[in-house]
Amino acid sequence: MNQTAQNLDSAPLVDETYYAAVTEAIRAEAARLLTDGRVAAVIGYVAGRRAGSALPAVITTPERAGELIFSPACRNNLSVYLTKPKQDAVPKGKLAIVVKGCDLRALAGLLGESQIRRENLHIIGIACAGVFAANVDQSLPLSEATIAKKCRECTVHLPKEVDFMAGTLPMLPQLAPVEAEELARLEALTPAERWAFWKEQFSRCIRCLACRQVCPFCFCTQCLCDRNRPQTVENSVRPAGNLSWHIVRAMHLAGRCAGCAECERACPMDIPLNLLNRKMAEELKERFDYEAGLSPQEKGPLTSYQEDDDESFIK
Amino acid sequence: MLHSYRRDDTIMPRTITAQNLQALIDALIAANIRVVGPKRVDSLCLYAPLAKGEELDLSELPRRSAKETFLPPAEEILSFERQGASTSVRSPDLSRLPATVLIGARPCDAAAPGILDAVFSWDYQDDFFLERRRKTTIVGIACTKADDACFCTAVGLSPDSRQGSDLFLTPLEGDSYAAEALTDKGAALLERHPELFVQGETGRPLPLAEPRAAKVDLAKIKTWLDGHFESPFWGEIASHCVGCGTCAFLCPTCHCFDIVDEGSEAAGCRRKFWDACGFSKFTLHASSHNPRNTQADRFRNRVMHKFKYYHDKFGRTLCTGCGRCIRACPVGIDLVAVLEDINTQG
Repeated sequence: MNQTAQNLDSAPLVDETYYAAVTEAIRAEAARLLTDGRVAAVIGYVAGRRAGSALPAVITTPERAGELIFSPACRNNLSVYLTKPKQDAVPKGKLAIVVKGCDLRALAGLLGESQIRRENLHIIGIACAGVFAANVDQSLPLSEATIAKKCRECTVHLPKEVDFMAGTLPMLPQLAPVEAEELARLEALTPAERWAFWKEQFSRCIRCLACRQVCPFCFCTQCLCDRNRPQTVENSVRPAGNLSWHIVRAMHLAGRCAGCAECERACPMDIPLNLLNRKMAEELKERFDYEAGLSPQEKGPLTSYQEDDDESFIK
Repeated sequence: MLHSYRRDDTIMPRTITAQNLQALIDALIAANIRVVGPKRVDSLCLYAPLAKGEELDLSELPRRSAKETFLPPAEEILSFERQGASTSVRSPDLSRLPATVLIGARPCDAAAPGILDAVFSWDYQDDFFLERRRKTTIVGIACTKADDACFCTAVGLSPDSRQGSDLFLTPLEGDSYAAEALTDKGAALLERHPELFVQGETGRPLPLAEPRAAKVDLAKIKTWLDGHFESPFWGEIASHCVGCGTCAFLCPTCHCFDIVDEGSEAAGCRRKFWDACGFSKFTLHASSHNPRNTQADRFRNRVMHKFKYYHDKFGRTLCTGCGRCIRACPVGIDLVAVLEDINTQG
């Protein structure tokens, strides 16, 4: 959390030439694909107005391929734009998409849930050194002080089975995990203390639903939590409804969440949502020996039934 | 107008030390006055009721605006209870709303409630908002720090704008503040504890913040908006909007709310709560038709409401340039970039 982010080294983790090389590779590939008419659009990142910022962009002409970039500010998991609720953002037809390793996990999940088809995608993978945490000054270099928590524990710097790999991975230092430690700290608490922690966190929630809207797996066209006749989850911003919403969200993503941690990054109230996601993933691993992984899996343990399923919880 | 402005020569500038500012907060709390001000909550700074003066943290712009002092994220507007065959309905007793001092509001936050008075006292008098306005004294503070999302100067305000403040603090060298009463409410707050202030300004003012956003021509932008409800521009800048409510909820001037009945048939209440035009269900009709069917349509509404509709109706701009929407947008939509684009096209 924030306390641990202080007093960390602000020396750059990678050389600027690395970003230039990745950017150049993306631009060349995008220009080739668009010139040849191989794809209707390239979903990637462009620079924003603010110093060091980047934002998602859908590029449809080779002339604009030169606007594409890769930098530590390229945090968004762009696979959200392949889901049904975001279909207005992209043209119809085959699409190229720029993905980091963590984003590719979400693509694998969406393939497994029949939301997208592999043959309709051209995947441009990034040899990724890591991206910024939320709320850091993006004009600074990527450093131990500015890197996202998820990147400190990254195991997928090089996305696999992509159609094109942009850049080569520089030497990266080993960084001590922060999120794993925070999760261990929470698990060591008593249930009452843990309850107090989450109650406090959720009390800040303003129900902007950024966590839902940036999530590749929140693709329901009608979210249960938006309904008011009948009302399942209180719509108004209050402790009861906030708690229900976050429990529903965590449960619905169990075994599906690919750990991109976009929900936590997008949260304007700094609620550490990825701790919940990680905990759910650990439970799935422990009880069902299942991991939302790198290859498309037909059905997760919570959407399938097997004769030998553990039923000991039924009392 | 809710206040009579008074700036006569009898109110001389006074100075209060940072320590006495905390003492003032403690004295107000002791007198059962609710004091809301910037306070550290975990990793962020929020406007929240203070339990003691030392909680006041003026080091950064709070993540959420101060609008919730007047328009809470959710509030009960009636309650109902069934007893046998009859149902009783009760309105909340607004006289119980506490006298409040909002302290340490940045100029972009202090100006917002006054802009919202127009809509909340237009065809319908919104007692929930207006009663809080009547009972609240706003102590604004000049800004000495800005980032590249700040753009108050682009929309007609400034880091030392007094607009909306009853009492205004200017940070001085030597950890103290010049205090200037701008309204009767502000003067009353000064007079309440004169012992905490000294006459005159005792130090040089700290350099003001310098928002880096370029100045835009709001009249020109309004003219462009008048003629471009239909324009490919909206799709170009906002197709990638993911449809959350972050921009609206952090905004000091976004004020749309929804109303919902919660509870059971036996007993429950009707609540109003913040809504956002970025949500796909914001204008969704019961027929399933949606007049704002895409995120681009929804973002257009956000810009139109702030820089055209509110101007058409009330002659004001519904934006104070705090930059929160820019800092927090998960997909990097930048209102300054949008305004600069329109300014260039217009």
